[in-house]
Amino acid sequence: MSATLVLILRALLAASLYIFLLWAFIAMWRGLRDQGLSLANRRIPSLDLSIQIEDGPLTRRTFQHAEIFIGRDPACDVALEDNSISARHAHLSYHHGQWWLEDLASTNGTRLNQSLLQVPTVLVSGDQIECGHSLIIVSIGASIEASPTLRLPIES
Amino acid sequence: MNNNLQATLLKAAAAFLFIFSVILSLAPSVRERTWAVDLNWTHWIGFAAWAVLTFFAHRTTLERAPSADAFLLPSASLLAGWGLLTIYRLEPTFGLRQTAWLTISTLAFIFTLRLPPNLNFLRRYKYIALALGLLLTALTLIFGANPAGFGPRLWLGGGTIYLQPSEPLKLLLVAYLAAYLADRLPATSAPSQRFTLRGLLNLPFLIPTFLMTGLSLTILLVQRDLGTASIFLLVYALILFLATGKRRIPVLVGLGLILAGAIGYFYVDIINLRISAWLNPWADPSGRSYQIIQSLLAIANGGLFGRGPGIGAPTLVPVALSDFIFAAIAEETGLLGAVALLALVGILLFRGLRTALAAPDSFQRLLAAGITCYLAVQSLLILGGNLRLLPLTGVTLPFVSYGGSSLLTAFVALALLVRISARGESEPAVLVSQKPYTLLATLFGLGLIACALSSGWWAIIRGPSLLTRTDNPRRSISDFYVQRGALLDRANTTITISLGESGSFSRKYLYQDLASVIGYTQYLFGQAGLESTLDEYLRGTQGNPASLVQWNQLLYGTPPAGLDVRLSIDLNLQIAADAALAGETGALILMNAQSGEILVMASHPTYDPNNIGDEGPALLTDDQTPLVNRAAQGLYTPAALLALLAGAQFDDTSPPNDAARVAFIEQLGFYEAPALLLPVADPSPRGEVDSLRVSPLQVALAAASLSNDGVRPAPRIALAVNTPMQGWVILPTQSQPVTIFSAQTAQATALSLAEPSGLFWKFVTTALEKDKTITWFIAGTLPDWQGAPLTVVVLLEKPDPQLAEAIGLALLRAAVNGH
Repeated sequence: MSATLVLILRALLAASLYIFLLWAFIAMWRGLRDQGLSLANRRIPSLDLSIQIEDGPLTRRTFQHAEIFIGRDPACDVALEDNSISARHAHLSYHHGQWWLEDLASTNGTRLNQSLLQVPTVLVSGDQIECGHSLIIVSIGASIEASPTLRLPIES
Repeated sequence: MNNNLQATLLKAAAAFLFIFSVILSLAPSVRERTWAVDLNWTHWIGFAAWAVLTFFAHRTTLERAPSADAFLLPSASLLAGWGLLTIYRLEPTFGLRQTAWLTISTLAFIFTLRLPPNLNFLRRYKYIALALGLLLTALTLIFGANPAGFGPRLWLGGGTIYLQPSEPLKLLLVAYLAAYLADRLPATSAPSQRFTLRGLLNLPFLIPTFLMTGLSLTILLVQRDLGTASIFLLVYALILFLATGKRRIPVLVGLGLILAGAIGYFYVDIINLRISAWLNPWADPSGRSYQIIQSLLAIANGGLFGRGPGIGAPTLVPVALSDFIFAAIAEETGLLGAVALLALVGILLFRGLRTALAAPDSFQRLLAAGITCYLAVQSLLILGGNLRLLPLTGVTLPFVSYGGSSLLTAFVALALLVRISARGESEPAVLVSQKPYTLLATLFGLGLIACALSSGWWAIIRGPSLLTRTDNPRRSISDFYVQRGALLDRANTTITISLGESGSFSRKYLYQDLASVIGYTQYLFGQAGLESTLDEYLRGTQGNPASLVQWNQLLYGTPPAGLDVRLSIDLNLQIAADAALAGETGALILMNAQSGEILVMASHPTYDPNNIGDEGPALLTDDQTPLVNRAAQGLYTPAALLALLAGAQFDDTSPPNDAARVAFIEQLGFYEAPALLLPVADPSPRGEVDSLRVSPLQVALAAASLSNDGVRPAPRIALAVNTPMQGWVILPTQSQPVTIFSAQTAQATALSLAEPSGLFWKFVTTALEKDKTITWFIAGTLPDWQGAPLTVVVLLEKPDPQLAEAIGLALLRAAVNGH
């Protein structure tokens, strides 16, 4: 008699143990999904670059992703036809809430506001980047959302 | 949301432990199959303490580390509670002590979380902390004690409070290494080119870590705490690997450990013992590999669903409280529980590594990773040891095993992990390479999967065959709780019966002089005689419907009530034979020559099977060998008997050649063991003639042919079994009758041996067996006897043909008159 009762309890025991595990695994999976979503929806302030190659005209480009390469290589985000520039010359990236400029061991070096760049440095609006004979003026825009999903109210 | 998750998981853990406690309370009523028992209550103290302490630990994390990882505390708490209740189930007094330690450990957890969150104090005072740990450990060399009173002296303290300093030393060493390496290793350097292995090993900055780890290892090696020493070495290698990304470091250390093990195998006793017990446990199951075999038996007994908390027999495993707690858990919660436990350890380890990756600076990252490595290495070492995947190392399973120092260290480590995981808004520190972390996660995962597969192997695939091993004490234990079948004589008079009630059944041998035939069943001495050969019927595993056997196994972990077996023994004749043989050394068999049913089987001297527990050791060394059933297991030279039987077959004028003699002896059945449900002696090998030895049972079967028209019958001693569904079911003979002589030859030979009364034939002879003379007497009914033909064999281990003849003929007359 007691054995049948205990058998039912034993089934409940196993069930409670696996409910714990199932709950934990579902929560971990949700955590992973949410982390992915939040990274995908992370707000990045747009970067406006005014580019002047040697003494040519000033062109203006806006970037909204977190990594920008500057170089002679056409695959670079900012591809500059300037022989004084290395194939992959400098790197702009957004992390720790800032835009950073880093020289990628270029032949002629990168200058920020007339001084040679030694370590990755935080950029602010109005900074002037010199790569070879090209000049880039930085302007950091307002935060925009990369791909916000809008929930529209359903009208019944 | 995270806080809700932690609360939900803790509630699920509490539900599990609550149901566990309820089952543990009810367990005695299941074991003894009645409500009239004392239920277990003490473990509710443990459950209540766990609930209160976990509540406070939970509240502290919410307060002090609101963004902490929500999985760490629930998994560890569940493991700790599960371990605590298992300890109560194994040894209630140790359960109370572990409750006290859980209180101290939880207070330490709360205290650690209340320390400044950046943990810089630990970083700054790393040498002082480590030196203190080393000092305490070194003190055990002088003031060391062992709470058990013997064994390695690894503890400090006295009375009821002992501390094993090597446990906190693990954590202090991890903290020291993390702090030192974080200060010295440039975190953002390119992972590869800067350090070659040679350069790394020569680098002066590693020398202090060598010294500190070496010092710890030396102390542990002097203490012979080899398990902890291997943990230190592996954790050191893994932390260096995490810090530098050099895969060669753990590989070299791993190879070094294997090499050290190989050298130790030849030169160090304890290592030799552990490794040979691991490589070949079946060689010495009652000695060196007793622990591991008992551990595997416990896991096998658990099966898929487990016996249920409090219903198994995990106390049979030595040191089930600490080293073998996994085996105890697997026995009572089965493969389901074992896999869940491994999954909980897995959650803890993976969240630990995740915490390390997300840590805000490299000190905290290395500290979290180092703590995870220490938990992983120690868990995998002891789990693998329990499952025979690795040689046994006597270390504890973190959070689960009994042991205050281990629990305290594990909880402080947990608090540090929780603290590091609560990094709030700060960004993770820059990581040189994610590879070591991915690789470690893979390794830990593979290790746990190997443990799960191995649990399945022992519990499901090897389980059934393991459980039938004679060194599985669970079978004898179930005899206390389930009534074993009775043995009855041919008139259904009880010879042997189990009396009592569930929990205290005991075997009563009502007619003791049959001891050599019936044998005994006893939890220390095992089984002998018919108790052994009829065990499956008497225990109810055979003859009962398979569904009933399985249902009982599921409910109680025992077979159903045993079945009664009816023997061919005629108790009245047996009593007469035993009275006649009293005081002699010898054997007697009376057999129905046609059906092969054994009516009387006597062997003297005999013993009292009711007292086998007390007298067993003396009986084993008794010169008179009372434990041997002389009638079936004694071997004697047949001497003139063989000449008599051969003379009946072969003409004097044409003596047989060797091949014909051997063929004839084979016909007599002297080269084969009689096939019946009774232990018999191994027969002489085929072809033996001059040094041939036969048992009285073999002689009785051959002699029966003279009373049975030349046919040697198939012997029987167990006639029928009383099954619940079909009533008495006949047990068939185990062999077929064999014709030895033609009917005419048999009849002529019998008549030529007829005794004066004209009722029986008889033959008596003496022979020299080793240094004493033995007497054979055989006799049987004559061919014109109208009743069932009978044969008797008397063997005396002394020269006394008159006595042998008197005993044999008197019994034969009694049998004939009785029919």
